Amino acid sequence: MTDLADDPVDAAAEPDAMKEPQEVVAAEAGAHSEHPETSLGLSNMKLAMWLFLGSECLLFGALISTFLLSKARFLSELVVGNPDVIEGLLPAEQVQTMADAGVRGTLSDLPYIFQEMAEVGSVEPIFDIPFTSFSSFVLLMSSLCMVLAHKATVDGDYKNQRIWLGATALLGSIFVGGQIYEFTAFYREGLTFGGSLFGSAFYTLTGFHGIHVTGGILMLVSLLILSFRGKLRSDRAETVELVGLYWHFVDIVWVLIFTIVYLIP
Amino acid sequence: MAIIENETLALPSGDDPAVERPLGVFTRPRNQTGLKNWLTTVDHKKIGIMYGSAAMFFLLIGGLAALLIRIQLATPNNTFLSADAYNRIFTMHGTVMVFLVVMPIGAAFANYLMPLQVGARDVAFPRINAFSFWVFLAGGLMLNTSWFLGGGADGGWFNYAPNNGIIYSPSTGIDFWNMGLMIAGIGSLTGAVNLITTVLNMRAPGMTLMRMPVFVWMTLVTQFLLLFAIPVLTVAQVLLLMDRNFGASFFDVKLGADPLLWQHLFWIFGHPEVYLMILPAFGIVSEVIPAFARKPLFGYPFMVFSGIAIGFMGWGVWAHHMFVSGLGPLTVSGFAFATMFIAVPTGVKVLNWLATLWGGRLTLNTAMLFSIGLVTQFTIGGLSGVSHAIAPWDTQQTDTYYIVAHFHYVLFGGALFGFIAGFYFWWPKVFGYKLNEAHGKFNFWGMVLGFNLTFGPMHILGLQGMPRRMYAYDDAMGFNTWNMVATIGSFILAISTLWVLVNAFISYNRWKAAGRPDPGPDPWDARTLEWSVQSPTPEHNFDYTPVVTDLDDFWHRKFVEDENHRLKRVATGAELAQPGNAEGVHLPAPSYWPIVLAFSLPVIGYGVIFTLWLTIPGIVLMMVALFGWALEPADDPDVEGHHDGDDHEPEGSDGDDHELVGASS
Amino acid sequence: MAETTLETAVADGGLGHSSDHGDHPTETAYWQVFAILAVLTAVEVLWSYLPLDGVALVVPLLAMMVVKFVLVAGWFMHLKYDLSIINGNVFTILFSFGLVTAVLVYIVMIAAFDFQI
Repeated sequence: MTDLADDPVDAAAEPDAMKEPQEVVAAEAGAHSEHPETSLGLSNMKLAMWLFLGSECLLFGALISTFLLSKARFLSELVVGNPDVIEGLLPAEQVQTMADAGVRGTLSDLPYIFQEMAEVGSVEPIFDIPFTSFSSFVLLMSSLCMVLAHKATVDGDYKNQRIWLGATALLGSIFVGGQIYEFTAFYREGLTFGGSLFGSAFYTLTGFHGIHVTGGILMLVSLLILSFRGKLRSDRAETVELVGLYWHFVDIVWVLIFTIVYLIP
Repeated sequence: MAIIENETLALPSGDDPAVERPLGVFTRPRNQTGLKNWLTTVDHKKIGIMYGSAAMFFLLIGGLAALLIRIQLATPNNTFLSADAYNRIFTMHGTVMVFLVVMPIGAAFANYLMPLQVGARDVAFPRINAFSFWVFLAGGLMLNTSWFLGGGADGGWFNYAPNNGIIYSPSTGIDFWNMGLMIAGIGSLTGAVNLITTVLNMRAPGMTLMRMPVFVWMTLVTQFLLLFAIPVLTVAQVLLLMDRNFGASFFDVKLGADPLLWQHLFWIFGHPEVYLMILPAFGIVSEVIPAFARKPLFGYPFMVFSGIAIGFMGWGVWAHHMFVSGLGPLTVSGFAFATMFIAVPTGVKVLNWLATLWGGRLTLNTAMLFSIGLVTQFTIGGLSGVSHAIAPWDTQQTDTYYIVAHFHYVLFGGALFGFIAGFYFWWPKVFGYKLNEAHGKFNFWGMVLGFNLTFGPMHILGLQGMPRRMYAYDDAMGFNTWNMVATIGSFILAISTLWVLVNAFISYNRWKAAGRPDPGPDPWDARTLEWSVQSPTPEHNFDYTPVVTDLDDFWHRKFVEDENHRLKRVATGAELAQPGNAEGVHLPAPSYWPIVLAFSLPVIGYGVIFTLWLTIPGIVLMMVALFGWALEPADDPDVEGHHDGDDHEPEGSDGDDHELVGASS
Repeated sequence: MAETTLETAVADGGLGHSSDHGDHPTETAYWQVFAILAVLTAVEVLWSYLPLDGVALVVPLLAMMVVKFVLVAGWFMHLKYDLSIINGNVFTILFSFGLVTAVLVYIVMIAAFDFQI
C-alpha cells in the first residue's frame, strides 16, 4: 500500500505552500533508498515479513525448548525403567495382555530400539542419520534454487525463473515426502504420538516445521502459476523475494532442528 | 460460502468489460454506508470503532460474569452458583476481560489514533487490518459460544496443567478456550506486524521517532510485545490442543512430564501480556495530561525510554508468578531482583506525570479526572505489585484475594480508567460531539467509589487469608463484612461504568436536538496531529500530508515563545486545521476477503472440537479466501485513479496467512 | 512495483529494477555459499559419528550450526546487504529482536528447570 504516501491524485490536491518542505525531506530520505516514499526507505512488505519471521523465532524456540525438556524427561524415566513410560511405547493389546496377567511392562518387553535407547541413555538409536542428512541437503539445495529464482526474476530471465521455482517446489516436496516416510518408519518401530513425551514432542516439532514447508510449497506453486500466466515480471521481483525470505527461514529452522534434534545426542 | 455467492450477485450492471480483471476477482464492494460497508471496510478508523464496540459488547459479558461472582460471594456458604458454574464463570470473566476487552480497547485506540498521530492516510496493510479485527471477533465469539455448547472453560484464565487436561476437565470448555484464543491470537499477531510497519514506515515527513507522540511510542512497544508474546501462548495452546484432542502426552505426569512447562510458557507470554494491556493506557494518559495541564509532557525522552525499558524488562520477570511452584532458591532470587527493577521505569512514568501536573493550569474535566484516577490507582496497584517481588511476602499472599486486589488495581484502576479517559478525550474527534461533562463527573466519581469499595477490601480479605477461586467460604472465617462491602461496591461500579454508554447516548441525543453543532477540529486546544483535521475525521484523514518540524508540532504552530519565554498564541486550532474537503483522494478499496478468511477459522476450530469432518469445509473456505485475497489487487481496477503495478501486497499476505493457518490447524 | 519511480527507472536505464538489486550477490556467490553449506553439513554429520562426547562433541556442532544460520541469513536472505542500505540494518535489527529474545528467554527457562527443587 505504498501508494498511500505519494499518490499522483493526492499530490495534485496539495496546496503549493506545502510542497516545498515535503520535497526537501523526501529527497533527503530517498536519495539512495529503494522506497523513497516510506519513512525508512524500505518496502512495507519486506519490513512486515521480517517482523513476522522475528515472531516465528519465538514460536520455534518454544517448540525446540519443549522438545529438549521432553526428551530429557523421557530418557531419565526410560532409563529408570518406569513401567508407565514403557507401556506407553508398547501396543495397546500387549499392555492389555500384561495387565490381564497381572504384570507391568519392563524394559525387556520393549522393541529392541528402545532397549538400546535406555542402554545408551540417548534417543540416538532411533534416528537414521544418513537419511536425514540427505533430507537436510535437499532443503539446503532448495534454498539455493530459491535465490536463483529470485535472481532470474530480477534479471528478467523468465525461463530460468520457472525452472528454479519449479525446482524449489520439487525439492521441498521431496523433503516433505521424506518426512512422511520417516514418520511412518518411526511409528512402525513403536514411537507413537501419544505414547511418550519424546514421541509427542518430536512429532509436534518436526510436524510444525513440515506444515511450514508445505505452506511454502503452496506459495511456490502459486508463484509458478503466476509466472506461466505472465504475471510475475521483474517489476514484481519483490514477491519472489518475500516468498524466498519465508522459504529460507524455514530452511534455517531445519538447520537448527537437524543439529539440535538429530545430531546432538 | 454464502458471502462468496453474494459477490457474484453484487456485480453491478454498469460494469465495464474493458477493464482487465485479474484471475478470479469479483467486483469490489463499493458501498459507502450501511452494513455491507462496515463488513468490508478497510478504513482504520472504522476498524478502530468496531474494535471498541466489540470490546464494549464483551465488557457487558465479562461484567455480568463479575457481578455473578460477587453475588455468590456476598454471603457465606451461598448457594447462588454451584461450584462448577462458579469455576466456569470466574475463568470466563478473566479470559474475556483480558483478551476480549482490555486488549481490543487498546487495539481500538491504536487503530484509530496511531495513523492520525503519525500523519498517515491509513495503516500499512489495510486489508490485513480488517482481517485482524474480524479474526479477533471470530475468536471471541467462538470462545463465548462455549456458554451454550457445554459450558465455559473452568481452569482459571491461565488454565494450569495438569488441571487443564482431559482427565480433570472433561467438558469442552477448555477446548473452546484453546481454539478461541488461538484464533484471536492470529488477529493480534497480524495486527502487530501491521501496526509496527505503520509506525516505522508510514510516518509523515519530518516525523522522526523522537517527535512521535508518546501514545504512538507506547503503541509501538505494545505491538512488539504482542508480536513476540503471542507465539509463546500459541505454542502452549498447541501442546494442550495436542494433549486434549489428539492424544499427545506433553503434560502427562505419569509418563514423566513436568507440568511446570505450561506455567513457564504461559507466563513467558503472560507477563509481557500484562504490560501490553497497561502501556496503551499509559500512552493515552500521556496525551491527556499535557493537554489539560497546558504544559508539555515533562521528560518526554524519559517517558519514551521508560516505556521501552518496561517492554524489554517485561521479558525477564515471568517466574514471579510461580514463586510457590518449587522453582528453587536461585531462580526465585533472580526473578525477585528483576521484578524489583522493573518498578523503576514504571515509577519514572508516574513521577513524570506528576511533574507534568505540577504548576500546570489544570482543567479538571472528565478526561483529566480519569487520567489522574489512573495515576493514583495504578500507583496503589503498583505498590502492592512491588511487594510481591519480595518472595517470602509473595509466598504468603499467593492465591489470596490480595493478588486479586492487586491486579484489579492495575488493570481496572489503571488500564480501564486510562481507556475511559481516552473515550472522553477523543470522542469528539471520532463521533463529532462531546460527551456530557456532568454525566462524566458522575461517571468518574461513581467509578472511583465503586472501584475502591469493591477491590480495596480485597486487600484485607487477602491478608486475612481468603483464597482466590473458592466458590464459598464459611461463616466463622470472618470474611463476611468485607465481602458484603465488595459486592455492594461492585454494583456501584457496574452502574457507573455503564454510565459511559448512557452518557454517550444522552450526549448524542442532546447534540442532535441542538442541531448537531460542530465541535471544531480542536476542541481541547491539544497538541498532536489528529486535532489538525476536522471532527469527525474525514475518510481520507489528511487533505495533504502534514510536514512535521517539532515534537507536538500542532501545538508549536499555535503558540510561539516571545522574548520573555512566555507562550503567545499565533493561531487557533480551527484556523490551522485542514479543511477536509480534498476530492479524488486515492483510498484503499474495501474487500470481502478479510471477513471471509476470518470466519473460516472458527469453522476449523469447531471441527477440531467436535468432528474433524467439519474442518474440511473450513479449510476449503479458507483456501478460497486466501487465493481470492492473494489474487485481488490492493487497488480496485474499477475505481478512478488506479495505477497499475503496485499491488504486491497479495502474495506476501498470502504467505503470512498460510503460516498462521499452519499454526492453528 | 511501487519503487519503480522516475529516479530509479532512469538509474536502471528503464529496466524497472529497484536500485539496490545491483548490490545482491552474483550467481557464483550463491553457488559458493551453497557449497560451504553442503560441506558444513557433511562435516557436521561426520563429527556426530566421531567417538566424542560432552563439550568436544556438542560445541563444534553448535558452532557449525550457527555458521550455517549466518550464511543462509546473510547471503540467501540478503541481510548482508541490509547493512549497505542507507537507513541501515533495519531488517537485521528487527529480526534480531525476535531471535535474541527467544534465545535468552528459552535458555533461562530451560535453566530454571535444572535448578528446580
